[in-house]
Amino acid sequence: MTRHTLFAAASFLLMAGSSLAAPSTVLDLVEPIADYKIYVSEKLDKLVEDTEAFTAAVKAGDVEKAKSLFAPTRLSYEAIEPIAELFSDLDASIDSRADDYEKQEQDPAFPGFHRIEYGLWEKGSTKDLDPVADQLLADVKALRERITDLALPPEKVVGGAAVLMEEVAATKISGEEDRYSHTDLWDFKGNFDGADKIFQLVRPLVEKQDPAFVQKVAGNFATIETTLAKYKEGDGYKSYDKLTDDDRNVLSAAVNTLAEDLSTLRGKLGLD
Amino acid sequence: MTPAPSSSSAPPQKLMRLALGGAVFLTILSGGLFYAATVQYGAQPTADVVKVEVGDKTCNPNHLSVPAGRQTFEIFNASSRPIEWEILQGVMVVEERENIAPGFRQTLTATLAPGEYRMTCGLLSNPPGNMVVTPTAASDASGDAVPSLKAFIAPLSEYKVYVTLQASAFERKAAALAEAVASGDLNKARDAYQATRLPYKQIEAIGGRFADLQSRLDVAALYLEKHEQDPAFTGFHRIEYGLYEQNSLDGLQDVARHLSEDAAALKQRLREAKLSPDYLASSASLLARRIADGRVDTGEDLYAHSDLVDFAANLVGMQKMAALLAPAMTGDALPAAQQLQARIEALSALLDSFKTGDAYPDYTSIKADERAKIKSAFNDLANAFEAAGDALGRVAA
Repeated sequence: MTRHTLFAAASFLLMAGSSLAAPSTVLDLVEPIADYKIYVSEKLDKLVEDTEAFTAAVKAGDVEKAKSLFAPTRLSYEAIEPIAELFSDLDASIDSRADDYEKQEQDPAFPGFHRIEYGLWEKGSTKDLDPVADQLLADVKALRERITDLALPPEKVVGGAAVLMEEVAATKISGEEDRYSHTDLWDFKGNFDGADKIFQLVRPLVEKQDPAFVQKVAGNFATIETTLAKYKEGDGYKSYDKLTDDDRNVLSAAVNTLAEDLSTLRGKLGLD
Repeated sequence: MTPAPSSSSAPPQKLMRLALGGAVFLTILSGGLFYAATVQYGAQPTADVVKVEVGDKTCNPNHLSVPAGRQTFEIFNASSRPIEWEILQGVMVVEERENIAPGFRQTLTATLAPGEYRMTCGLLSNPPGNMVVTPTAASDASGDAVPSLKAFIAPLSEYKVYVTLQASAFERKAAALAEAVASGDLNKARDAYQATRLPYKQIEAIGGRFADLQSRLDVAALYLEKHEQDPAFTGFHRIEYGLYEQNSLDGLQDVARHLSEDAAALKQRLREAKLSPDYLASSASLLARRIADGRVDTGEDLYAHSDLVDFAANLVGMQKMAALLAPAMTGDALPAAQQLQARIEALSALLDSFKTGDAYPDYTSIKADERAKIKSAFNDLANAFEAAGDALGRVAA
């Protein structure tokens, strides 16, 4: 290197030094959001891979195999739901319920995971499911593509922790979501993991200003984890109808408190 | 630093559209955030709650007009099924409330930018309602505002992801290059060399700013006392020298191994680097200037003559940076964003014009007058990034 380039290099570093000291803590969110995007990308890769196997089983007419792959496949989707559901067309196509259609389960427009779930569990058959399976696979691939190109809005990411807990409160505690397969505890785990991930990523930023808050939230996450663990079976979870009333109450209380507490995260991080 | 050029004429309409076109997607999403940042110092948020009743077939009212800014909606489910209510812009969900039971009310607060929206009304087959968000004094005033630092969280995060992925690719390819060199296969090593260079060049604007690593990874023999015979001649160009000048792998094993180690170190540094909008812009400006001032005339890849491939990869990385920053460069920073986009397109078109099919020619075939054009295009780009950096340096904390 010539003296000139050395000087230039040194001045780059000096400049870098001054610019690197971000003027505000607002930009401290850059790292957690970037890490979260990588987390989401990994989940999407897994979702596409699992959906390929799941839809292949459906198309092969293998009801038992398809049933065994349904809940594990959904795990990755449920973990990233606050981002996945930003696209209303794909959200409807992948994860809408029979209630969203005029003729409910009989409506030919009823698509996605829950249409297949209905076929597998209620009808015990893969009849008429080929096009649904093809569409589902195309949709999760489209979802991956769209999210890859998307700069995640920080308020949606940080707000996502509460959204996931509200989702659990509204659709899992009641057993509404997986009403045919009763695999709600799997989805619960996915939502839980997704919320916990967001919390863990921003935790260092909140810990300084409000250690009591962080402790309370971590406590409730731990309660859920311990309670859910009682229902582990193999790689997954027992049927939702095995959940005792006592445990449902414990979960419900922890989830509702978390939903409320986590909804203050945006404000705490200056995103409201 | 040279003074920032003033844009003498407004870019044509088409360019303005292009400048914003690729980023519309982002803008839609960050719109809520951005407006949260920009309307707060304006008028007080509207205190009135907007009431919407969702029936079996439609919303009532089915057409809404609300002022821009923070707005609270109360949704009453008058239908016989549980519903979700969403505010949509295109296919994107701006805000939503899920699982509103029949007979129940829920409220939702959204910060909306002026524009046209739709709202879902119960069954997915029901026609969506329309919502027009009208500009207010506050939202108009925000057009002249200094962009908010908050608006840069998303673009900086996305750029960080990009840099992280490219740095990982660099690390992987460098390890593969070391293997190819060790295997003794010259052609395989040449392919691996080019594949390794690509991700490095794409993130060079940021990655090249670690002077210690840069002097090991990408030092040119020209700057060393004994040129190719200097013991400090190492990294990419030492390997290039062996592969393309000496047509030999002799002595390259250690060099390739060190390159691979430095690639891993670079990835770690980039992971820890704190990025700010003006740091990105000034880094790109420095790189474009370095290329214009030196590499275009002398060439950097003296043995492989693949300079145009390097330039194109450098441009891809800077293009990524500009595309991410652009949507957040509002108000005063808008002209700088437009100018930047125009300069990138000009350089991109110029480099493309040398291509035959997908391939760039040997750099030795590029004549002096053509090099002068490349030099000038990189200089323009450096100026545009510098102006962008100045505008971004004024971003409010």
